[in-house]
Amino acid sequence: MNAFQILGLVVIAMLIATSLINLIRGRGRISISFLWLSLWCLGAVALVWPDSTLLVARSLGIKRGADLVFYSNVFATLGGFFFIYLRQRRVERQLTLLVREMAIAQAALPEESEASGRAAP
Amino acid sequence: MAEAKTESDTGSHPGQLDPAVLRDLWIVIPAFNEQGKIGEVVAELRERYANVVVVDDGSSDATGARALRAGAVVLRHSLNRGQGAALQTGLRYGLLRGARYLVTFDADGQHPVETLPRLLLPVLKGEAEIALGSRFLPGAGGIPRSRRLLLGGAVVFTRLFSGVRLTDAHNGLRAFSRRAAAGIDIQLDRMAHASELIDQIWKSGLAFTEVPVEVRYTEYSRAKGQRASAAIRIVFEYLVGRVLR
Repeated sequence: MNAFQILGLVVIAMLIATSLINLIRGRGRISISFLWLSLWCLGAVALVWPDSTLLVARSLGIKRGADLVFYSNVFATLGGFFFIYLRQRRVERQLTLLVREMAIAQAALPEESEASGRAAP
Repeated sequence: MAEAKTESDTGSHPGQLDPAVLRDLWIVIPAFNEQGKIGEVVAELRERYANVVVVDDGSSDATGARALRAGAVVLRHSLNRGQGAALQTGLRYGLLRGARYLVTFDADGQHPVETLPRLLLPVLKGEAEIALGSRFLPGAGGIPRSRRLLLGGAVVFTRLFSGVRLTDAHNGLRAFSRRAAAGIDIQLDRMAHASELIDQIWKSGLAFTEVPVEVRYTEYSRAKGQRASAAIRIVFEYLVGRVLR
């Protein structure tokens, strides 16, 4: 095992530990925690037995294991962007609702309406 | 359903609405950096209509102050959230204040105030729950050639994606009954809201109609209006919004 593999395994071990702690403490969705755990485990296997990626690549019709890793990274990155976009949309939506409620609660009435005693909602 | 209550029907002051309708009518104006025109627009509306609400969408100028001084209720978005968000805020406020009829109106002064009774008429008569202003129907007008092409494209787009046959898909002048406004929930905060609104109207199954309206294009309104290049972004926002709805 070379230095890169050792370093990589240490990092993956820390990531697995983090995911396990999140899972045990009930932080986030269980399915997402299992997804991360699966990904880290696959990464560990690919790191320790690099030829395993070649076996999977060949079974998928890809010539090299490195190409498989590259394609997987591209898809994972695109998926990540999409996930972040969805999350941003959700936050934007919540922000709009908050701004709306504040605007309605702090409605400024023209002087004559205030004088006539109209109540704001 | 309410009967038509224009005084033109009763023979007095053509174009004026019955006081009962005036009391229950709220005019919603979304505004962003419109200090140059908003005071004039609100003042003109307030000469005839009691309830005008301006949603100041996070303007960095004196839009809110000028609208308030001219007699509008002002709701201030502390952050700019877009015209769709501002419209929804105004509609919600009107409903909370007990509006039976709601009209959306542009802040740049391109809509003549005299158009409102005609726009409201189908809703007041109970012939439709929603009346959409159209610049393309006979009797309407005022569109420069440069805008005609862009707006025509929007009409075709609406027919393709919403399946709704309208002559004008993106006119800011609209009238709603309370029932219709309560069923509207604009989720697309920015300019794609216009297409989303048509989708929601179509899906609600409520009766809608188009009313010819004139639009006054001025240097000011042209400068404030959407550029053709924005169309791509609007289409993208709308399509993503449809997919992720």
